[in-house]
Amino acid sequence: MLQTNLITFLIRRSLNAAITIFLLLFVTFTLIHVILPTPEAMAKIYVGDAHYTPSELQSIIVLYGLNKPLYVQFVSYVESIFRGTIMDPIYGAPVMSLVEKFLPITFELVVVVISVEVTIGVLLGGLAALNRGKALDWGIKALYLMAWAAPIFLWATLMQFFFAYDLKILPAMNVANPILVPPKPITGYPLIDAAIEGDWVYFRSVLKHMILPVVTLAMLGFGGTTRLTRSSTLRVMDKDYVKLAYMKGMSNGQVFKGTVLRNSVIPIITMTALHFGYAIGGAVIAEEIFLYKGMGFFMNQAIMNLDLPVVMTTTLLIGISIAIANLVADILYAVVDPRVRVR
Amino acid sequence: MKVIDFLRRLVGLRSSKEVEAASSASLEEKYGSTWYMLLHSKEGFIGILLISVFLGWSILEGMLQLAGLLLGRPSIGWLLLPHDPLAPPNPAASLLPPSSRYPLGTNFNGQDILSRLLYAAPLDALAAIVVVSSALTIGALLGMTAGYFGGWIDEVLMRLTDAFLAFPAIILAIAISMMLGNGFNSLLISLSAVWWPTYARLFRGETLTIKYRGFVEISKLSGISDLRILFKHIFMNALDPALAFLALDFGGVILTYSSLAFLGIGIQPPYPEWGSMASNSLNFFPGAWWYTFFPSLAILMVVIGFVLVGDSLQEQLLGTMV
Repeated sequence: MLQTNLITFLIRRSLNAAITIFLLLFVTFTLIHVILPTPEAMAKIYVGDAHYTPSELQSIIVLYGLNKPLYVQFVSYVESIFRGTIMDPIYGAPVMSLVEKFLPITFELVVVVISVEVTIGVLLGGLAALNRGKALDWGIKALYLMAWAAPIFLWATLMQFFFAYDLKILPAMNVANPILVPPKPITGYPLIDAAIEGDWVYFRSVLKHMILPVVTLAMLGFGGTTRLTRSSTLRVMDKDYVKLAYMKGMSNGQVFKGTVLRNSVIPIITMTALHFGYAIGGAVIAEEIFLYKGMGFFMNQAIMNLDLPVVMTTTLLIGISIAIANLVADILYAVVDPRVRVR
Repeated sequence: MKVIDFLRRLVGLRSSKEVEAASSASLEEKYGSTWYMLLHSKEGFIGILLISVFLGWSILEGMLQLAGLLLGRPSIGWLLLPHDPLAPPNPAASLLPPSSRYPLGTNFNGQDILSRLLYAAPLDALAAIVVVSSALTIGALLGMTAGYFGGWIDEVLMRLTDAFLAFPAIILAIAISMMLGNGFNSLLISLSAVWWPTYARLFRGETLTIKYRGFVEISKLSGISDLRILFKHIFMNALDPALAFLALDFGGVILTYSSLAFLGIGIQPPYPEWGSMASNSLNFFPGAWWYTFFPSLAILMVVIGFVLVGDSLQEQLLGTMV
């Protein structure tokens, strides 16, 4: 009974994710065509040069099939996305081959950010709840409100200045020390590649270069987790089974770990899936400041070059990866809490 | 406490005794006590103060700029400012530290940073108001429709909302404003286009809980039209949690807006913008620290104001646990 419930749940959620991804494709396609309604307007984007002749424009319209009916264009759009054949007029290479190089770097960064953020958030949130109304509670609140309200470029610049330029203990920019030879890209993820090939010097360098961007991005998001952990901990603390645990003579830490955290973990999973999106959005700015050559950096270059195909494709891919992250969160949810499967 | 009483009278509130005396929680009384609580909690009060300074100045300066624009004399726009914020480059005054003549120093072009900060405020306020109110409108319409009618309408609208939610707002806004062409108006359109999904979710959830309550059922039975029920009963009751979220969200819009300006999207030079001022200053950091510090501080103070108010509103409207 339980098993079939889980399976139908998984099928339904996967179906939902598939529909969402289809709609993502539809939305980006519609946006492009609402804003650039005529084939000529579309072609001007692809020219990549302000000086063009009408015949050049015509040849581009024919080349990209911009004068075909919209549904034909939509099918070929979806096809070109999945087969990775969208060409980039500026780099002269398929967009996918460029994205493949940059996307893993950002994903790696974001995964580290999320784990740091959740760890700090849960610890601080738990501390705040256990010390409710005391100075520590207020201190933690002041800390995360500040972190929340500051523009990300402020943290990034301040930290770059103090730790890299003033104290000189951390590198200011790049993914790794540019002197080192990067390991052969097997997975594309710098840390994993370095670990596979046993290149521990490079591994350490990547880790060291990651610290500042990770701290900056974690600042952006740990407040949400802290707040949520605090509130759900407080809610659980009123329950009888927690009082029982205290009566058994367990310490604060034991109760928090054994009883409270397990019950407040579910909203935290949802929150974390949401933060995946925020962190990627923040990475666009952090990567620009730290010259961290991942997706965000690449996207900024594309913005400056007015390279629409790259911007649209990266936007779409990020959307798809977030839809998948939400699906994973839903599945995790069902594994952690059987009650979810019913609805 | 005198200041608080004065402020409370300013916004037309009843005294605290009257509020306490009112036992039933009609909508009006609830808001009365919300305002009361907000102004009496420390964080809420600081927040309200910061927001009032920001909005008050923005309205005043915005009117002056508008007058200058309409009369064809832009100099009216900097009537109250110590210096001309759009002065032509003056190499002699380039990157001067804060002094009595230039309280917050000057930028690379020798323009006064204080004047430029103050001059840029109205458009930041306008951006936040336009984006949040259009997001609220679109989100409320879609969310209430989905929640109230349910079935396939709900399914379609919510999948669409999910699709939009899957894009990080900042990235989709970049893509849209790139296609529309860079500028203030296209930035507003693109931010409004990506900002509504959270509101749609929120209003759908609220609608689902409200639509089975007695007063809605009775209204339906007495033949009141769906449109009227949606607006009069559901919208008004769903507004509570939305308001608490709204205050926090204002801060979010200002942060996103200035982050986009930081990337060079939005208002173009020579017009000042807090985010782009901070971004231009990075080339001179840390030598000319004031150039980076004060624009960032301006953003920080305004957003903290909204965060404080949003935070204490959420505590009061949705219970202390949130």
